[in-house]
Amino acid sequence: MFSLSSAYVTLEVKMGLKVTGRCALTFKTVSGTFFYEMEQDIRQFLGNLQPEFDLTWRTTTDSYGYMWIVFEGKRIEDLLAGLTTVSDIVEERGFSDKLLAAVFEFSSDREEGRKTRQQYLIYNYKRNKFYPFVPTGQKTIDAEQQMKIMAAVAEEIPFERDMTLWYPLWDLPLRSLG
Amino acid sequence: MFTKKQPWQKRDTGLTARMIVSFAVLTVLYIIFLSVLAYVGVSAIAIAVIAGIMILAQWYFSDKIVLWSTGAKIVSREQFPELHDLVERIVARNNLSKPRIAVINTRTPNSFATGKTPKSSIVAVTTGLMDELDAEELEGVIAHELAHIKNRDVLVLTLASIFSVMAWYLMRFGMYGAMFGGGGGGGYGRRGNEGGAAMLLILLIAVITWIASFLIIRAISRYREYVADRDGALITGKPSKLASALLKISGTMKRIPTRDLREIEGMNAFFIIPAVSGSSFTNLFSTHPPVAQRVKKLMEMEAAMS
Repeated sequence: MFSLSSAYVTLEVKMGLKVTGRCALTFKTVSGTFFYEMEQDIRQFLGNLQPEFDLTWRTTTDSYGYMWIVFEGKRIEDLLAGLTTVSDIVEERGFSDKLLAAVFEFSSDREEGRKTRQQYLIYNYKRNKFYPFVPTGQKTIDAEQQMKIMAAVAEEIPFERDMTLWYPLWDLPLRSLG
Repeated sequence: MFTKKQPWQKRDTGLTARMIVSFAVLTVLYIIFLSVLAYVGVSAIAIAVIAGIMILAQWYFSDKIVLWSTGAKIVSREQFPELHDLVERIVARNNLSKPRIAVINTRTPNSFATGKTPKSSIVAVTTGLMDELDAEELEGVIAHELAHIKNRDVLVLTLASIFSVMAWYLMRFGMYGAMFGGGGGGGYGRRGNEGGAAMLLILLIAVITWIASFLIIRAISRYREYVADRDGALITGKPSKLASALLKISGTMKRIPTRDLREIEGMNAFFIIPAVSGSSFTNLFSTHPPVAQRVKKLMEMEAAMS
């Protein structure tokens, strides 16, 4: 996943996509003591983020029963370190099969006749690969833009070249701060 | 339901298959015809002349043969005003001559260009292509076809087939000479079992030569496709539009799922199957490997232009 720490520059130069400083990690919640202990571990880590990492965080649980840990920060290295530490805790506690995805948010500064909007790279923990996600509305995507993102960074990061596995994550909770 | 063969994986074959079969049948027919001529003792020079005339005729009538074999109909401005406008816009901007426009009434999205000279050429699109693509994508496809015309690809491929027929002819002639010991024009008197076997061998070699030349022509035409992609993209200035048209035509676009990852995740078996039958599997058996390659090149162009 750390390959992204250099590939984001390519996205900015080639595509005009800037890291917004928001990223998230999501895993399926289950009941039980071991899972509860893992959650406590994660919360303890999150509670002691500062001053080592310049990050803010919040958690939320979606309607699918997935817990989201959303990070905000200025430096991509901090964001990646935050995500990796959480995923390490999940794996150490034996819940690696519950890890679903990490999501990185970008925004476009090129207008090209359309509104500026959020675009994402999704990291699938089952496949250990990135793929693009450019939602344009309710359950619609900009496939062409997703193709362009693939063309721009597929050589630099482990990329999911099989488009039939580009599963969307609708209604990402990265921005619902209310 | 996620791994079954999708219907669009086999949809792009019809039109191309009909054209290939038409021309293959024609080629086999004249190879047989020339073989018979040779067998009955017509002189080598006469056969060369006849073969030349036949190839010229095929080239001369290529547009009619293509129209006939695909069921494309030339359409007037009154019938398809938007299509005519679209073609005229591209042509005017790039100082090309306007081709005749034909439409094929089928849901399969496809297109082709044919014609002896840029002036007399035809660009044909299917109704399915017009339905499926947006205006800019259709423009990309038509620019690709116009690039074929500009590059005189019909002529290039005709020349390639002339060389392949010549290669076949030389081979057959060499064989003939070897078998009959260089005796000039003695074909008639030596018919019988030997002659029959020789004829069979000649046909066999002719078929092998034809297959080889078919592969060579395919290689040339694949290369011309890349060139037409590049030139077409330069005409419109939007490589990504042609790329997305190619993805739509090949059905790749529809394979990007819309179901949420979290819904899919519940089905445990799901991630095991694609892990095995993922990219390496589709690369081996994909019906359209060139589309991915063409899209990749176009996207590289797009990245370089932006």
